[in-house]
Amino acid sequence: MIYTFELILRLAIWLLLAPLLPGIINKVKAWVAGRRGPPVLQLYYDLAKLWRKGVVMSTLASPGFIAGPAVAWVALLAAAILMPLGPLGSALSFRGDVLLLIYLLALARFCTAWAAMETGSAFEGMGAAREVSYAVLAEAAIIAAVLALSVHTRSVSLVTMLSPSAGAGAALLAAGLFTVLLAENCRVPFDDPNTHLELTMIHEVMVLDHSGPPLAAILHGASVKLLLFSVLLVQAVVPLGNLSAPLAGAALAGGVLAVTIGVGLVESLLARLAFRRVPLLLTTAFLLCLFALLVSWNWK
Amino acid sequence: MNIGLLLSLAGLASLAGVLAGVRWPRLWLALTVGGALTALGAALAVLLGAAAWNWQSEFSVGGEPLHFRLDGLSALFLVLVAVVGGAGAIYAREYWPDAHSPSAARRSRIWWSAFVLSMGLVLTVSNGLHFLMAWEIFALCGYFLITLDGERSGVRAAGWLYLVASHAGTMALFAFFTALASLTGGWDLGPMRDQAGLAPLFWLALFGFGMKAGFFPLHIWLPSAHAKSPSHVSAIMSGVAIKMGLYGIVRFSGWLPVPAAAGWVVIGLGAVSALLGIAFAFAQNDVKRLLAYCSVENMGVIMIGVGVALLASVRGHALWGQLALAGALLHVWNHGAFKSLLFFGSGSILHATGTREMSRLGGLARTMPWTAGLFALGSIAAAGLPPLNGFISEWLIYLGLFDTVTTEANPPWIAIPAVVLLATAGALALAAFAKACSTIFLGAPRTKAASHAHECGNWMRGPMLALAGVCALAGLAPFLFWPAISRAVAAWNPAWTAAEIPAPLMTLGAAQMILAMVVTLAAAWLGRQARANGLQRRPTWDCGYAAPTARIQYTGGSFAGIASSWFGWVLQPERKLRRPRGYFPTEAIRLERVPETVLERVIAPVAERVMWLSNAARRRQHGRLQFYILYLVAGLVALGLLVILGGLR
Repeated sequence: MIYTFELILRLAIWLLLAPLLPGIINKVKAWVAGRRGPPVLQLYYDLAKLWRKGVVMSTLASPGFIAGPAVAWVALLAAAILMPLGPLGSALSFRGDVLLLIYLLALARFCTAWAAMETGSAFEGMGAAREVSYAVLAEAAIIAAVLALSVHTRSVSLVTMLSPSAGAGAALLAAGLFTVLLAENCRVPFDDPNTHLELTMIHEVMVLDHSGPPLAAILHGASVKLLLFSVLLVQAVVPLGNLSAPLAGAALAGGVLAVTIGVGLVESLLARLAFRRVPLLLTTAFLLCLFALLVSWNWK
Repeated sequence: MNIGLLLSLAGLASLAGVLAGVRWPRLWLALTVGGALTALGAALAVLLGAAAWNWQSEFSVGGEPLHFRLDGLSALFLVLVAVVGGAGAIYAREYWPDAHSPSAARRSRIWWSAFVLSMGLVLTVSNGLHFLMAWEIFALCGYFLITLDGERSGVRAAGWLYLVASHAGTMALFAFFTALASLTGGWDLGPMRDQAGLAPLFWLALFGFGMKAGFFPLHIWLPSAHAKSPSHVSAIMSGVAIKMGLYGIVRFSGWLPVPAAAGWVVIGLGAVSALLGIAFAFAQNDVKRLLAYCSVENMGVIMIGVGVALLASVRGHALWGQLALAGALLHVWNHGAFKSLLFFGSGSILHATGTREMSRLGGLARTMPWTAGLFALGSIAAAGLPPLNGFISEWLIYLGLFDTVTTEANPPWIAIPAVVLLATAGALALAAFAKACSTIFLGAPRTKAASHAHECGNWMRGPMLALAGVCALAGLAPFLFWPAISRAVAAWNPAWTAAEIPAPLMTLGAAQMILAMVVTLAAAWLGRQARANGLQRRPTWDCGYAAPTARIQYTGGSFAGIASSWFGWVLQPERKLRRPRGYFPTEAIRLERVPETVLERVIAPVAERVMWLSNAARRRQHGRLQFYILYLVAGLVALGLLVILGGLR
């Protein structure tokens, strides 16, 4: 009974807080540019509106066009449930849960790409091809980071892995994971969530033809993914396990806020990279994580 | 029931199937399926707790007494032979019918029974000489199955390549078994881990069996043989036959002592196969070649698990070795199930459209919903995604690898590249299957053949449904499979008998089950909401083109463009480009082909050089007697000089 209550509470945290992050990022960007910008809660309004709107589907699309976003959304939420939340711990923790988390993100990617390809539009093909290709490098970086944490804590379950900090390699790991966060969440310098030029986009172009409730699921899922990566980054670097529960909670919230503001600042100060440079930056992220791994390997 | 009796019944049924295949298709089908079920029963009995079956007879063949044995390890592989052997026989009834070509259908039946029977023999004989005989029959039956459609020159070339590669491997096996017989003083096989002098023989076995298992760079025969044979044959070749090579490696690394470096080499080979296999798969345009290269990847994944187990047994650590070997053996089953399913699916596509070229297909999900759904399910399993079976076995292998670093004081560094390459290969596998599914099933049909596709019939759909059921069951309830797997692990290393499951499979299975249910509910809910809000159908918006054609769509080649450019150094794609010229261009051509690099860039040039040398040597043999006498005299003079100068002393 208490477990169910806790699960609902945890789901509520993820579902309700996630759309806040894109709002904060947009506010930071507006502030740097000297504009007033959209309200912080803009994504909530958008989601509420989209949920009530009708759907236009391509004549070519099969039911997978709507099932894809649904599966991706559930997979992202399931990954979020596996992620421990500082003092709250994790709803479901077992040996090897971190691998399930990584592969749930992959499932979400497969389903998004599938739904994108349903329309037969060349633009969405471009987006899907870029998404699945760049993810190869991102996944190598993530697994190296996970292995680094695993070597450091001698554990394969997230709660234990994320409780102390990453030790000597923390700075390297932070830089690597932050780059992966930017890439996986389609942020500048990898992708520009604001442009509407299909040729230059990765993730946004995959969802061009979606509308109504499926688009709401996609947008909400994307915000959950952003929150997920921020939480992972903060917990991998800040030794939350050594703090008292309220302090750890505050540190986690503050860390996530700092990461979000960081994303906003990066977005304001950097331009999007040319596509041929994207693999280079991702390889750098992989190398950073790999060096973090080597540091913890020798630290033992 | 007596295991020996069941096995002999299954063997007799297959033998009768060889005869019945000539004239009576229905009797043949009944015999093959009945034999498969009987063998399945015997294998499951051993896996679920019956004592290993061991039968020695006074009767001798080739001077050696017959000795049969079915322990946990061979039973595990026998299950695979029985399941795919039975399913493929049913599938072939519609896919390769008498109505199409009576003689080809007849040959298919005969060689199918012989193939299944010979694989059963390979798995059960326990005598080196008889193993070699069974192995040779198995290899030859494979050749006749691949060349069923032998009127096409491409098929004959593929069969020929298979035969040559197969015999290169068999040569190493001849050396292996004769050396083993001379070192141990007998052909009889069994556990002999205590004879340390046998360890170097492992390398011979690795090459000989590796040729059949098809890991990189010994995979040269595999892509063309799997792509060009009929789909039911591809399914059993890819799902089962290459596993016989793996069986050899696992069997003899369990029975014989292994060199200290074995684990490192096998992990390295596995990691390289996993990455390069899937990189080649991603770049393919032919759906069956893509699946074939994906088999190279999966064999690599299995080899990583086996390598970790070898490392563990050399170091004497039970925990992680057990996990990795369990993962590898479970992946043997899983890959057998999803790869056969995918090949059956590609056969159904080929049957409906007449092409394997993905860029000529498209939009088949509307005309072939069953095939599309089942192929998608197989793809999710093959990409190792939850909640299906591919994830479970990869997860076990990952866990074994991670445990090497979390439990060891001095962990082997090879775990780092293995983990990273396994993850990279996983992400590329996802990309490859996203490409295959989307180019074949989604969007608009690119050719007339694709738009006139039709769904396959019940005889083809039934086996696909059964295999899809296996994939789902192994994904959602993996703990059901654990007793069988742990029995096989214990047969490999008797010291590894875990009382309880060393990994939280129960929790993972429950998580996957909940995930599958929630996913279904969410999809239904979102669909309902979309319909309730009003759903309209409009043409795809394509940047303002009023009447976009199907050829505007992204092709498989463009989809793979980014990632295959990273692997350009090994893929070495051949491009032919004619750009549109002038103000009113009439034609433009862009052709791209990914060659089989090892075969065409390494082996072919070497073979050419050897042929050139042989031709040069042949010129000396022209039939003119006076020159032969000259050679003799020259030889004698040379010998005489040697003797006189004392060189021979």
